[in-house]
Amino acid sequence: MKRTRIVTTILAIAVLAATSSALQAENAGDPAHGKLVYERYCLSCHGELGNGQGEFAQWISPKPRDYRQGTFKWRSTPSGSLPTVADLEKTIRDGVYGTYMPTWYTIGHRARLDVIAYIQTFSDRWKEEKPDPPIQIPPEPANDQASIDKGQKLFVALKCAQCHGDSAQGDGPSSHELKDDWGHPIEPADLTKGHFKCGDTPTDVYRVFMTGLNGTPMPSFASQISPSDAWDLAHYIWSLGPGRVNHPQPPNIAAK
Amino acid sequence: MRTLRAWLLSLAAVAGFVLLSAPPAQAFPAFARRTGLRCTACHELWPVFDDTGRAFRDNGYQMRLGKDNPTENPFSYWPVAIRITPNYEYDTVNNQETDQGKKTFKNGGIADGAMDLLIGGNLNNNVSYLVVPTGYASDGVVNLESFWVYFTRVIKNSDWFNIRIGKHEVDLPVSAHRSISLINPYLIYGYHPMADNDAAGAFALDENQRGIEFMGHDRGSLTRYSVSIFNANDSPGSRGAWDSRGYYAHFQKYWQLDSYSVSEVEVGGFLSSAEYPTSFYTADGEPIDGTGTNLKSSERWGLETSATFGPKWTPFHVWAVWAQGKDDKALYGEDARDGKWNGGFLQLLWVPPTDGLHWGFFGRYDYIRNSQQPLAGTPKSLNDQDQWTIGMKHTFAFFNRDEYALHVEYSTNKMKGMAFDGSDLTVSSTFIGIDFAF
Repeated sequence: MKRTRIVTTILAIAVLAATSSALQAENAGDPAHGKLVYERYCLSCHGELGNGQGEFAQWISPKPRDYRQGTFKWRSTPSGSLPTVADLEKTIRDGVYGTYMPTWYTIGHRARLDVIAYIQTFSDRWKEEKPDPPIQIPPEPANDQASIDKGQKLFVALKCAQCHGDSAQGDGPSSHELKDDWGHPIEPADLTKGHFKCGDTPTDVYRVFMTGLNGTPMPSFASQISPSDAWDLAHYIWSLGPGRVNHPQPPNIAAK
Repeated sequence: MRTLRAWLLSLAAVAGFVLLSAPPAQAFPAFARRTGLRCTACHELWPVFDDTGRAFRDNGYQMRLGKDNPTENPFSYWPVAIRITPNYEYDTVNNQETDQGKKTFKNGGIADGAMDLLIGGNLNNNVSYLVVPTGYASDGVVNLESFWVYFTRVIKNSDWFNIRIGKHEVDLPVSAHRSISLINPYLIYGYHPMADNDAAGAFALDENQRGIEFMGHDRGSLTRYSVSIFNANDSPGSRGAWDSRGYYAHFQKYWQLDSYSVSEVEVGGFLSSAEYPTSFYTADGEPIDGTGTNLKSSERWGLETSATFGPKWTPFHVWAVWAQGKDDKALYGEDARDGKWNGGFLQLLWVPPTDGLHWGFFGRYDYIRNSQQPLAGTPKSLNDQDQWTIGMKHTFAFFNRDEYALHVEYSTNKMKGMAFDGSDLTVSSTFIGIDFAF
């Protein structure tokens, strides 16, 4: 009888905990908890003041994000807008390829929401503005040779090579002069590695064309090209990765 | 004769406690220097892993974001770290036989320090390694505690197929080499009922084993398995094609609950068998190593659970592990029975949400209960043990270069009937040290 009561009590606690978990998971993050998450995982790069000047920042490039301006590269929102919480969580959960921003998949959804709430306290933008709605991404058309060929022409027409280089390896004539909004030198992406900071799918590449990367020289092309053209360009960029289907030669190599 | 044997057993127990009770512990600032992360990112309270640290280790010391290949590491990065803990230790042991009667021995002083030299990193993408010479105390002895190479994503780029080759710690429910306690071993990992035969007391789960580990895990290492096949530690060997086989299997499943009240729950289980020879060719009556036959096994199996109360970033983490052990009667000599016992431990670790995570508190209760003594006429409860440990750690400073902390710990272990006259033997230790790694 006593054992039954103990088991019942344990089960009740478990149910309460699970219920509490489900309810809390739907809520916004708690900045007070987020401060502790930040201290445990983020401080060494992003700094105590959220200024991107933690003890490790001086040794690495690109520099850690300075949160005080509310300016973020990886967004689903239009150029200039704040990112959504989901955008920030994606960056924290998956990390940023090729940088020192690791994946924080293991800390869980709750911790990510909490630390986002704390990060938002570093900039008044979060009090004064709301993120714009995410851009609409139309269904992806066929990723075929015709689309890739069109994308290659757009790459030339839009002068992408000015920064990314004729060989698309991030070595264009302007590549050594570029700086971000904080005055830090910034390198254009090498598009031939098969991995992108924004994510590896054509959809991720499409999103970057249309949203731009706030705080960097990478603009939004939303007002310059149609969604169809953006998909062609995304397919071409995606196809430059090693081992990809229909992998073409970059323009300058193809010309030789 | 009975008195002499009991006294020798008592002496061996004390010596074993004092000499072997500080398993080399691992915390690796070289990884902090490489990744830019502080120790708190991978350790609840160093050296105890959190989920991130466990995943980092299972992934072969890789973040998998294009920076793992050695050519991508910072030029100044050097994959070497050192950990050492200068400390004062005060020990007491009661019920000691002297010409002046039964006495309690007490002694203390700055302990002879042992150092962990931790060398580890990546040889290539998906190829990592660890080499750990440890010792360097005034006796000059250096033991190669670990040496292994670990291939990850061996088949179809899957995290479920990884292979480690070399001397490694088997995947224990709670790592003995990353124990928060610096003076007490987990009793269940190395316990054997009392015997006169060395072979009966050889197998220890917390000894690193030479062999191959197959392990796999999901993203985040929340579901994971490990199977090790090895030559059992400290075996004099056999004439078999594969000397003194040992097997170990472990499974763990974690559930992240995204709750502040209970943030994570885990269950798991393990089983192991290690074989030792019981017959030998002899020279001048002494067994010749490598000529053993008639392998007999020491077997262990157990269950585990753990729960993290409160948020994971300021955890109140509770582990409970229960195990049973059986040593074949042949390991104990003629006319012996199988040695059987059960035991376990309950461990607590708390990092309060104050003062920038600089404080940590821990405690542990270990027990051993013998259920069948191998030697006839031995009281069933001989060497039943109750071990209590309590301690705190105050980390003065966290950097991604080093970490140093005040470590204070007290432990006491009561071993039933183990004094020279059959009374209980109690060994207690107080430890105050500066634990640092760089």
